[in-house]
Amino acid sequence: MGLPRYAAVRAAQTVVSFFILITIAFFLFRVMPGDPTAFLLESPRIHPLTRELLRRRLGLDRPLYEQFFVYLSNVLTGELGYSLYYGRPVTEIIFGRRMLNTLTLVGSSTAAAILVGLVMALGAIRRYGSRVDPSLTAFSMVTYSIPTFWLGMMLIMLFSVNLHLFPVGGTITATRVHEGVLDLILDYLWHMTLPFVVLTLIQLGYNYLIVRNAMLSILQEDFVYVARAKGLTESAVIRRHVFRAAMPPFVTIVGLQLAGIFSGAVMTETVFSWEGLGRLMFEAVSTRDYPLLQGLFILILAAFLVANYAIDLLYAYLDPRVRLR
Amino acid sequence: MRSAEALRLLLRNPYGRLGLAILAALVVIAVVGPYATPYGVWQYGVCRPFERPSLSHPFGCDEIGRDLLTLFLYGARVSLFVGFVAAALSTLLGALLGLLSGYFGGPLDVVLMRIVDALLAIPSLVLMIIFAAVLGPGLFNIILVISILSWPPVSRVVRSQVLSLKEYPHVEAARACGAGAARILAKHIAPATLPLVVANMVLQVSNAIIAEAALSFLGLGDPRIPSWGGILRFAFRMGAVSAGYWWYVVPPGLAIALAVLSVTFVSYALDEIVNPKLRRY
Repeated sequence: MGLPRYAAVRAAQTVVSFFILITIAFFLFRVMPGDPTAFLLESPRIHPLTRELLRRRLGLDRPLYEQFFVYLSNVLTGELGYSLYYGRPVTEIIFGRRMLNTLTLVGSSTAAAILVGLVMALGAIRRYGSRVDPSLTAFSMVTYSIPTFWLGMMLIMLFSVNLHLFPVGGTITATRVHEGVLDLILDYLWHMTLPFVVLTLIQLGYNYLIVRNAMLSILQEDFVYVARAKGLTESAVIRRHVFRAAMPPFVTIVGLQLAGIFSGAVMTETVFSWEGLGRLMFEAVSTRDYPLLQGLFILILAAFLVANYAIDLLYAYLDPRVRLR
Repeated sequence: MRSAEALRLLLRNPYGRLGLAILAALVVIAVVGPYATPYGVWQYGVCRPFERPSLSHPFGCDEIGRDLLTLFLYGARVSLFVGFVAAALSTLLGALLGLLSGYFGGPLDVVLMRIVDALLAIPSLVLMIIFAAVLGPGLFNIILVISILSWPPVSRVVRSQVLSLKEYPHVEAARACGAGAARILAKHIAPATLPLVVANMVLQVSNAIIAEAALSFLGLGDPRIPSWGGILRFAFRMGAVSAGYWWYVVPPGLAIALAVLSVTFVSYALDEIVNPKLRRY
């Protein structure tokens, strides 16, 4: 299979995944026992005639399959309805400041975790057999085991409440008039420090283990044997041969991890009151704002399917064996 | 490999030993603990609000004067129960779907694997939050939500092993003798996937404990008896973090981390036993 054909097949699969997921969303939000419109329609304070009118206006008197097609066309045209809590279009709430805040936090911490994870793995492999690797492996297991939100709470207690070094939460100091853009950015970064540390830490151990394991298995390959036999120094072998061969699996795994990172971001943003999509999701759950929750779900799944697609293509480009399968 | 032998190898591995020891201790706390405390979960006013740890209340007190040690002991029960049950259910479901999908192939396989792809592509916590929010909080619902959204990775690994197993001579021989699909699956294929299934179940336990903690922290857990994650939710909402009441925050989080860590140790040890290649280098 050539690259264009592979791209087309994966694109078709992505579209199928998208339809499966939005169909799940449709049934979840309409047919499940806790019908999200029930509390509006079954409230005793609403007159039966008003209720009937409302049902007709919302299209709930139509057969299910008709509702499904209306839903499909709405989703495909980006019509996601109005938030019950904010009273504004769902798309308007999601796209904008909220999304920017999440992208900044998740993007910077992911980049940091990749960089530091690579450095850690290289260091451990170079001194393989010393105590570096066991201690870093133990560190990875510990960071994996600590609940994200608890790590955040502990950091707040230590650095914000006891040492007064960082704010307890939020994105910027609301009570302060900022003098110019630089002041605003510094204030923003000051608020971002602790959430950034949490999100970096929870990814770090995983990145380290992946690169380490990939490099360990590559060390047993014949081409490494040859590289050593022709007299290259151990560090040149690792840098030029082992490290490079370990990159393609690392790219995919970082890609597959994106979904997990976002889950971490939901918890981190909730604890630090970071005004992003994760925190928005928590608020939508707390206020039972179903249209907003549904809109968030659809946009998140669309974003992740596209990201997965892009990563698969990148992997196929980096490692031709994939598309030949 | 018989299970007695597997256990012996596990106990010989230092990680396996440590993991099993911590896990056993936590299970004992969860089972016996609630009988050892004189207070009930909702018995408030037994001490001053936010009282510091003392001899009579070793873990201190919460905002309505409940004994935090009592909450901790009951919380152990909920956290571990949900973790183990949800992990067992999702592993069972995943193994079953993987067996069927791998053995029969065809349209069933295509549909199932597309669903697996779709579910793996998006953040599982997001899906769990949405499912739990729509179903409403509760012990049964949280187990349901975690198990029906955690099976995809298990089904994928089991399926790929079944794909190679069904070409084996002994399976072919069974088919030639006229054995039906059910008998071949039950007698010749399922037992061979068991080590893989057990290894995956261990991973599922740690994932389920983490997921339960996160969902409870967001207010989607069991409202009657708070789990460790549920205690942390109270602590956070009642301002224990910003007031620096460490005794309210430290024990439940530490316990979750210990539970997950011990399971991770067991899984690491299992990996070294099942995969001897890792021991060589």
